[in-house]
Amino acid sequence: MGSRRNGRISSRKNARKVPKGVIHIQASFNNTIVTITDVRGRVISWSSAGTCGFRGTRRGTPFAAQTAAGNAIRTVVDQGMQRAEVMIKGPGLGRDAALRAIRRSGILLSFVRDVTPMPHNGCRPPKKRRV
Amino acid sequence: MAAPLALSNFLSFLSPPSSISPPPHVSFFPSTSSSPSSLVAAPRRFPGGELSSAASPSTVCFNSSYNVQIVVEENEPEERLLNRFRREVMRAGVIQECRRRRYFENKQDEKKRRVRDAAKRNRKRASIFEIFEPEHRATRVREQEKRR
Repeated sequence: MGSRRNGRISSRKNARKVPKGVIHIQASFNNTIVTITDVRGRVISWSSAGTCGFRGTRRGTPFAAQTAAGNAIRTVVDQGMQRAEVMIKGPGLGRDAALRAIRRSGILLSFVRDVTPMPHNGCRPPKKRRV
Repeated sequence: MAAPLALSNFLSFLSPPSSISPPPHVSFFPSTSSSPSSLVAAPRRFPGGELSSAASPSTVCFNSSYNVQIVVEENEPEERLLNRFRREVMRAGVIQECRRRRYFENKQDEKKRRVRDAAKRNRKRASIFEIFEPEHRATRVREQEKRR
């Protein structure tokens, strides 16, 4: 009974209005994932090039990143988000394209940050490919 | 009884003094200009630690360290924003660094890469220098002619 109550409360919370949020873009070589969270980091919605219908090598293209960003922002603009920060992670072709799509969608941007994780010479990366 | 005490004193004299202060934490303080389009690009910046003056007016509650930050001004054209971002990222060397760390590079590869980078840097510096010092270019050309 208690868990049922919790389920109902969380579904009500999803309809909350979030005027300011953070858009995380993870742009790897093979894919681009766009996650929209509130300022505390709780995820509101996400979209990726894979979920937008692209498969295989087409997921890594800038156009796929553009559609992913567009999809993610569409769901969130309906919820009433006006301002956003952008955090971009990773190398990849989707960085610029997603940023362009965000800018074009009409959301006000406060910052654009690059948060690519940089080890201070930490773990050993995988071996070189011999292709 | 006195001997171990004397020994410990002797050893404490040999050990490094404990009053060595920890090395100063390398924190790059961004130089914010007074114009509204302040460009803050600070490598490995950790807000909330040493920077108590809250230089970034963001309302993001969680601390995050970033490589590059661009403050977007009102009504900035899309291309200009993208160009600014790309330029800052190139200056910070993020993409290059990612590519380098993608696969392991052994000492040989690392040495080759360093030599290549140094050669590129020296060539660039030499070409810029020659723009400002035409006599330098003249001497270089003369020496090349002499060698031929």
